[in-house]
Amino acid sequence: MPDLELDRVTKRFGDSVAVAELTLAIEHGEFVCLLGPSGCGKTTTLRMIAGFESVDAGQIRLDGREISTTPAQKRDIGMVFQNYALFPHMTVAENIGFGLRMRRRSRAEIDEAVAAALALVRLEGLGERYPRQLSGGQQQRVALARALAIRPRLLLLDEPLSNLDAKLRDEMRDEIRRIQREVGITAIFVTHDQTEALALADRIAVMANGHLLQMADPVAIYEEPANAGVGSFIGQANILAGRIVACDGAWAEVEAEGGLTLRGRASGATQGQPVTTLLKQERVLLTRAHPGSDGNVFPCRIVGRTYLGSATSYQCRIAGTAIGAMVPNRAGVERFAIGDNAFASWATADCLVFPQ
Amino acid sequence: MKEALATAKWLYLALLYLFALGPLGFIVAASFNPATSFPSGFEGLTLHWYRAILDHPEFMSAALTSALLALLAAVIATTVALLAAYAMRRGHAHENAALSTALTSPLLVPQIVMSLAMLEFAALIGLDTSLAGLVAIHAVYVMPFALRLILTGLARFDFALEDAAASLGAGRAATWRHVTLPLLRPSIVAGFTFCFILSFVNLPLSLFLTNARTATLPIVMFAYIESRIDPMIAAVAAIIVVAACATTVLLERVLHIRLVD
Repeated sequence: MPDLELDRVTKRFGDSVAVAELTLAIEHGEFVCLLGPSGCGKTTTLRMIAGFESVDAGQIRLDGREISTTPAQKRDIGMVFQNYALFPHMTVAENIGFGLRMRRRSRAEIDEAVAAALALVRLEGLGERYPRQLSGGQQQRVALARALAIRPRLLLLDEPLSNLDAKLRDEMRDEIRRIQREVGITAIFVTHDQTEALALADRIAVMANGHLLQMADPVAIYEEPANAGVGSFIGQANILAGRIVACDGAWAEVEAEGGLTLRGRASGATQGQPVTTLLKQERVLLTRAHPGSDGNVFPCRIVGRTYLGSATSYQCRIAGTAIGAMVPNRAGVERFAIGDNAFASWATADCLVFPQ
Repeated sequence: MKEALATAKWLYLALLYLFALGPLGFIVAASFNPATSFPSGFEGLTLHWYRAILDHPEFMSAALTSALLALLAAVIATTVALLAAYAMRRGHAHENAALSTALTSPLLVPQIVMSLAMLEFAALIGLDTSLAGLVAIHAVYVMPFALRLILTGLARFDFALEDAAASLGAGRAATWRHVTLPLLRPSIVAGFTFCFILSFVNLPLSLFLTNARTATLPIVMFAYIESRIDPMIAAVAAIIVVAACATTVLLERVLHIRLVD
């Protein structure tokens, strides 16, 4: 039995639908990321699970029990907030012990749990500090310790890393995952940052406009997106509209707008069908000489170049079509200047064709 | 140039203070002046006028009445202001505008008119206890001041803290008790004190509503001045001024400590 099930959960704000018939199941101990652009309904979903927003239709089941009408304070769900939401008038220890105090545990039991939680997040000895005396990363750890101290049945994290600077963010990301594994708790992590989701999640649920687009493990989400929406949101992709001019089984030939004819993977395509073709930028190879392979090889002209340190992003024109190519910077890799002629090529398997 | 600016700023502030507080200095000085008429030249130092207050028991009982009235009015006003401010922070902008206007409108009506209106209203509903009418009108009048202060305090309040408390198992009451109220305490205390002082010193609101037993201190002072002017009234005023100043300073100290939290 899954730990948490959302069954056609719907939330409306006035006339607009924030979450539309969302159905998903999360297994025990799993780390799931809700990923999507802002306004996609991911935070609303999290707040419904936490009990801060009412559910307009559908059910939320935790351990098989319907909880969507249970008040937040009775759900036993721990939450880490975007701005940490630490109580500023309480010490770190009082913050962490707050949930147990509300549960009327004994002084000794609370002290013990607080010490254990502080050790878990590696903040031993900081219990008497006030939140304002801590760094952002330390506050984040306190927030995590506070949520876990009540031994919740589920841990929710609402963009917890967005207020940290880049270096600290990576460190805290790994730390959150370590702690989640150590405690063995089921966790849902809301983020709009795909790198974060790919690095953290056992499974990613990609949302857009209140709908679940796909739920799968990070590799499948990146390599085998279920639709153009997921494919275009994750990674940097070239998106070309076109129509199918030839197809055989899993392969299709697409004539894209601008006149480019390319081969890609498609299942169940039919002749003449309008499609969206998706090609991740780092899958495009740029070479001075013809790579020799057949398939998708096109002469192109470099029209733009942005140096990004680990890679260089090229803008190329193949006849009337613009293609972006992300080329890793390493010794021996060919470099191009604006105005250079080159060949752009990619494996047919890297070009994904979705019905429009 | 920079120094000249700093001096100018300092001078400006000094003049502003002198303008605002200067008259109080004269009152305090006059209360120690043995001259028997009230304004007159300075003739020496005496505590005679402070002793004289003790011979006027009506001042003592009026002070007690005013204190009781101010306490009740401030409690009611602060409670209403807190609830209204809280609702406004969680509500929608257009509702808030209407509510804010409605709650602040008493400030735009001449206080003496409000006093008269309360007298009529009390007669209409058959309210015959003078104190109830006084408390009601004072509470209505001072409430907007508490509302302003508490709204300012709430502007800094993060409602995610209430969600956090709920997720940790605190019900509505426990959340208010352990999180919301402690964090709003500075603005609540400030609002309450402000209401208390405003009510304590207010004359026109009480004009038509007092009787022999509910004469407030400003009413008794007003009646006293009408019959004669001697420095005893300055002594009474000086005590009120010093008490108000002391309260304010104390509050700032206390609030300062709390605000650092």
